[in-house]
Amino acid sequence: MPGNNRRIRGPEESQPPQLYTTDEDEVPAARDPTRLRPVYARAGLLSQAKGSAYLEAGGTKVLCAVSGPRQVEGGERGGGPAGAGGETPAALRGRLLCDFRRAPFSGRRRRAPPGGSEERELALALQEALEPAVRLGRYPRAQLEVSALLLEDGGSALAAALTAAAIALADAGIEMYDLVVGCGLSRAPGPEPTWLLDPTLLEEERAAAGLTVALMPVLNQVAGLLGSGEGGPTESWAEAVRLGLEGCQRLYPVLQQCLVRAARRRGAATPP
Amino acid sequence: MAPPVRYCIPGERLCNLEEGSPGSGTYTRHGYIFSSLAGCLIKSSENGALPVISVMRETESQLLPDVGAIVTCKVSSINSRFAKVHILYVGSTPLKNSFRGTIRKEDVRATEKDKISLGDAQSNYLLTTAENELGVVVAHSESGVQMVPISWCEMQCPKTHTKEFRKVARVQPEFLQT
Repeated sequence: MPGNNRRIRGPEESQPPQLYTTDEDEVPAARDPTRLRPVYARAGLLSQAKGSAYLEAGGTKVLCAVSGPRQVEGGERGGGPAGAGGETPAALRGRLLCDFRRAPFSGRRRRAPPGGSEERELALALQEALEPAVRLGRYPRAQLEVSALLLEDGGSALAAALTAAAIALADAGIEMYDLVVGCGLSRAPGPEPTWLLDPTLLEEERAAAGLTVALMPVLNQVAGLLGSGEGGPTESWAEAVRLGLEGCQRLYPVLQQCLVRAARRRGAATPP
Repeated sequence: MAPPVRYCIPGERLCNLEEGSPGSGTYTRHGYIFSSLAGCLIKSSENGALPVISVMRETESQLLPDVGAIVTCKVSSINSRFAKVHILYVGSTPLKNSFRGTIRKEDVRATEKDKISLGDAQSNYLLTTAENELGVVVAHSESGVQMVPISWCEMQCPKTHTKEFRKVARVQPEFLQT
């Protein structure tokens, strides 16, 4: 057949046009700004990992696994000064390596696995929030690896990943000072800034500003804070942090029950 | 009937420092004892002193070699100044991931065990065999046959009858398994 170079070739793949339209008529329904979605948490579900946790909050599903402690071959680190009270010097403390990954099917459009800078930023935020909670001084020269996989993004993904990572670390038997609970917030664009606790994906997409707070409930210390968006009055950010910390305290009993149930399951499986 | 087991999670406040003394798996802060592991609470009641409160997990697998621990290792390379070893067992529990250690030539001696630091600038554990029960347990001669110990510093190969110098360990009978 003679070539059809007179015909204009169409694109190789075709996509539905709805992908390119913004859903402007989908407005998030009005709701109580302090409502938390019901959370399902389960620890100790992966048999191969040292510790694992699965957390579901509304549409957000996160799976986290912990492995280690493994010995780090780090010979170049010089001996740091010993801390007061005979603590292990800085060079001998353990390290926490966090990894945050989005599954390709986690959002509306397929994302290729190497996620780029956003995932690296979230992994760094995970590490900064988990470090104050883990007793790294008890694992000298060892490395703990935490990997979080986001199966579905339904809003406040980083908060869910933080909570799941803390449960997984406790499930792995890593010594910790306290658990870490994460909570997400977002503020819709508009003149009156009302912060919404635990936003859904729709609310997050339409938000002018977002914030994730991580709290250690018993010690009552903030472990991590990551926020971005339009600047507003400082009081509104302070109000948001307070709301987030309240939300974290409300979530804490769920994690307690989850870990106790997992410990009981482990105790029943291996009779002493 | 076993008493009901009380499970606790990291960060749970267990009791006052006056009611108990902290054991493994716990830490103290502001005069209270907090749990640091997710496991079962164990109170060992002593006769005169305070009960020791500790949190135990069923699988105590994350043992790291500590100062003063007796370990079993396998030599991986030998130098004129030191030998590099893989630490396989700590006490009697096998390690999942083997750690690296170093035995310096001056640390192989008969007596005078001194403090071995966990290594200041190096990343290896420093080991010593300066005690009667520490030293070589199993050795193979150049012909590949397992050697028999003759004295505290010599081992003989049963096939070729050549003697080689090793610092032999006098293993306590309770550690020997048939």
